[in-house]
Order: sequence, then structure tokens, then C-alpha cells
Amino acid sequence: MPSTDDLHRVTVIVHARNAAAGLAKLLPTVRWAGAIVVVDMESTDDTADVALAHGAKVVPVELHPRVDAVRNRFLETATTEWILVMDADEYLADDAAELVAGLIAEHGTSRDAFAIPRLNRIGSHVMRGSGWYPDQQIRLFRRGTVRWSDSTHRPPEVLSGRERLLLLKAPGCLHIHHDNYTDLRAFIERQVRYALNDVYDPHSYEPDRYAAAALEAFAGRHDPEADGDLSRALAVIMAWDQVIRGLIHWDQLADKPSLEGYLTLPAIGAVPTPRRSRVGAWLRSLWRRPRRGGGSRMRKGTRS
Amino acid sequence: MSEIVSAIVLSRDFDALLAICLQRFGESARRAGLAARCVVIDNASQTPCPETLPGAPPYRLVRFDRHHGFGTACNHGARRDDGDFLLFLNNDVLLDPDALAAMREEFAARPTLAACGTRMVFPDRTIQHAGVVFGAGDVGPYHIHRKRPASLVPRSERRFQAVTGACLMIRRDVFLGSGGFDERYPFGLEDVDLCLRLGRDVGEIVCNQETESLHFESMTPGRVELDPPSRSFFMSQWKGRYAIDG
Repeated sequence: MPSTDDLHRVTVIVHARNAAAGLAKLLPTVRWAGAIVVVDMESTDDTADVALAHGAKVVPVELHPRVDAVRNRFLETATTEWILVMDADEYLADDAAELVAGLIAEHGTSRDAFAIPRLNRIGSHVMRGSGWYPDQQIRLFRRGTVRWSDSTHRPPEVLSGRERLLLLKAPGCLHIHHDNYTDLRAFIERQVRYALNDVYDPHSYEPDRYAAAALEAFAGRHDPEADGDLSRALAVIMAWDQVIRGLIHWDQLADKPSLEGYLTLPAIGAVPTPRRSRVGAWLRSLWRRPRRGGGSRMRKGTRS
Repeated sequence: MSEIVSAIVLSRDFDALLAICLQRFGESARRAGLAARCVVIDNASQTPCPETLPGAPPYRLVRFDRHHGFGTACNHGARRDDGDFLLFLNNDVLLDPDALAAMREEFAARPTLAACGTRMVFPDRTIQHAGVVFGAGDVGPYHIHRKRPASLVPRSERRFQAVTGACLMIRRDVFLGSGGFDERYPFGLEDVDLCLRLGRDVGEIVCNQETESLHFESMTPGRVELDPPSRSFFMSQWKGRYAIDG
């Protein structure tokens, strides 16, 4: 059994907006932490009261359209060696304290950051594949070693290098439990909000990249053997999200190129279903863009 | 006000089986005049157990991301509830409708009773459990009459040194007072260990034979592999300290 002394060295930071119900579920699952900070982004419900009732420190901040943009500011306020970042619609299991203490005790000297698998629940279904699992998230790290970019839902960078990141291998390890969306309507609503609030570079518009990203999103998310029709629906939404982003980007350009051909997407049905065959898996790989080099992006971490 | 019996059920991936198990527990408790409560310990299911299951009575859910031993998980569950009785129940046990009434009756009839098990059969109605007995040397504890046709196994023999934790009823204060299951066992024989301690420190152990519940046994993958280290640990703790039966 790892020492609980390690847990006093962890600060949990939660960014919340109108998340009283979520916090009431989350905060009891992190009560073992040395400190809990709830960054309250202009909530109008009982978010602050719930946080205080669970012994958290509440830091009121102005609302920002992209949470990741303000995360870095509050990482520096923690005084403990380790930080665990949670969202208000997430929570941990009953053995999380023991598992976090175990990670720090076993790997704390050789690693600065841990990518934790996340179980995503959409409606009543826990996603088993479709790019939604294991969905490792860099959330537990040594203070000063991880930095987010000004965007939404992009993996943060591990400043000390990817060899200092440990990707936890599911199952049988610490997980983040995430009540994502109650239904597809909520999912679509949030995707649109993220797309509208994201930052688009006016000097690097490449329409083909959005079309390719749409296909990549579909190929990566289309996994009906794991998640049935829900996988199909989510794959279409994620592909559509890229198409919409391309149009938002285009709309912000001073000098707009022609959109001719932009919506002539190749037939999405031609993307083979995963796992059906090795040939299918190989064909699917052809739809994927090569990943760009550099940085310490989450997927490049070494496995435990 | 009815007495409360709290089922502590470990579950790993078999939600449909769990639902039927809890349903049968609820029915058996109702017929016994006991108020039923359930604590489900999701012992690292790949797909986490949902907070409710169709057809199952309400339960309190404990989630473990990493697989824990039977003793650790059960102790955790026992601390989560404050019923009068605890019933450690495997998710692959379907209780006879009158099983809990018969077990409750054992406690009423024997003030010194420490723990009560129940007779269980496999689907082919051979005996899965009718009490645990102890052989000489390295034989150690084993299920008496295992795989014998239930119709040939008498119902008169009730007192044993141990019963299985697959279905074990105990007063909560007695369980907590005993220190609960020994968490050093990997998986298996911590139930026998508990019974030997209870028999030494508290009172009698009985296996009720009036009803026959169904026990599929060892449904959960990986369960059997943990037996040898548990057995080895058990023998290091108890060999020479139990009575040899017959």
C-alpha cells in the first residue's frame, strides 16, 4: 500500500461553470488530496457553495470561451509538487487515492506526467472504442512541467520531454470517469460552441486539410463493433465538425479563396469498418494524415 | 421496524447476472421479513457497472479501477453500510426464495451463532456447497459432498468449522469486531480464515441445509488462477490449527 503522505503533495484543480451537480459527484472522489481548488467561471448556480462545502478553495475568475487558455494561470498557484486537473463533469473511482499514491511512489522520480485513460459515458452508454477509449488524458503531473495551448481539447505539452510522460495502459489502472453528454443534442451543441470559440490562424488556411481531417475523424471514430450505431452517429458529427471549422476559418479570412470543391467530400462510406479485416485496417490507415513531428504530444508517450 | 440485511456483492463485467442475483436477493429478503439493501462493488469491470440495472433493486455502487482481492473489496463494502446483518454474496449465486428466512431463523435459534452459510447446488443439482471440512496433511479445507447429487446428501449435518463466503450471513458488528476478512489473501480462502477466527473467538458456524440456492461458481475470469497462492498462504497461517474432520 503506497504511503498516503504522497497524497498531501497533490492539488486538485477543477475549472467549473454552473457545475454544482457535477462537483457534488466529483469532489467526494478527490477528498484525499492535499488541496482542492475550484476555479469558478462566473457560475450563477450553487457551484461555489458546493465547492466550499467539500473543503475546496474557490477562486472566482472571469468567463473565458476556451478553458484551456486559462488553465496555465492557475497551475502556478498550486503550492504542492503534484497537480491533478479534473473537469467538473468527471470523477474518480473509490480506489483512486491508492492508485494515485502508487503512481507517484513508483514513478515519481522518473516521470513528470501521467496520461490517464478516460471512460466516456454518452447517454447511458460507456464508450468502448470509436476513438473514445482509452482516450488518455495528461492530467496528473509535476508542477511546472505541463502547459496547455490556447484552444479547446488539445493535449497539453509536457515541457520536460515525452520520455518523462507515462501513458497508463488500460484496463486495470487509474481511470478518469467522464459523464460526457446526456444525448447527441448536447454533444452537437458543445461541438458547435467549441468550433465557434476556437482560434483560427488567418495565415494558414488550407481547405484540403479540413477535408482530410473530416475523413480522418470519421475513420478514427467509426467503430460500430465497439459502440454500434452510436459510433456511426458520433463519427459523422466529428467529421462534420471539421467541415464546419473549415467554413468558420474561411469566413474569418480577409482574402477568401473559392470554396468550389470544398464540400465535394469523398464518399465517407468507402472508409472501411475497423477490425473487420487486416486489409480493412490497412485501408483505414490510408485515410489518416501523418502526425506532425516535434513536441511531446500525448500519443507519443511511452507505455507503462 | 424491520431488521436490515445488506448484501455485499462483488461484480466484474457480468451485469445481467448481477441484476438477477440482486433480484433474487431482494425477493428472499422480502420473504424473510428483512429490509434489503445492496452494496455492489464493481471490481474493475472493463465497462463500469451502471448506477442502476433493469429489474434489480437499488444498490449503492463502489467502483474500483484496479482489481482487488475478495477480502479487501468485501471489507470496503461492509464499511459502506450499516445494516444489522451483512450477506456476502457472489454475483453468480441465485438465492432460493426462502434461503434468507432459513438463515435468519438459525440466528434466532442459536444466540451464539457467529456466521451462517447456506446449501448451494450447481445447475445439474449436484452439491456446490454444504459446508467446509478439513483434511489431514496438505489436504486442508474443501467443500464436503461437492458434485454429489443433492438428493443423496443429508440435510441434518449443520455445524462446521467453516462455510463459503459465496453466501455468508453475519451480524455486521460481529464482522467488524473480528477485523473483517484478512486482506493478505490474493483471492480465495479468506472466508475460511474468517470462519476459523470466528469459531475461535465468537461462536458457532452453521450451514443451513433447508433450502438449495443455485451457484454457478467461478464465473469470473482469472478467479481460479489466484487459488494456489491463496491456499499456500492459508496453510502457512492455519495448518495444524484446525480440527481434522473424519
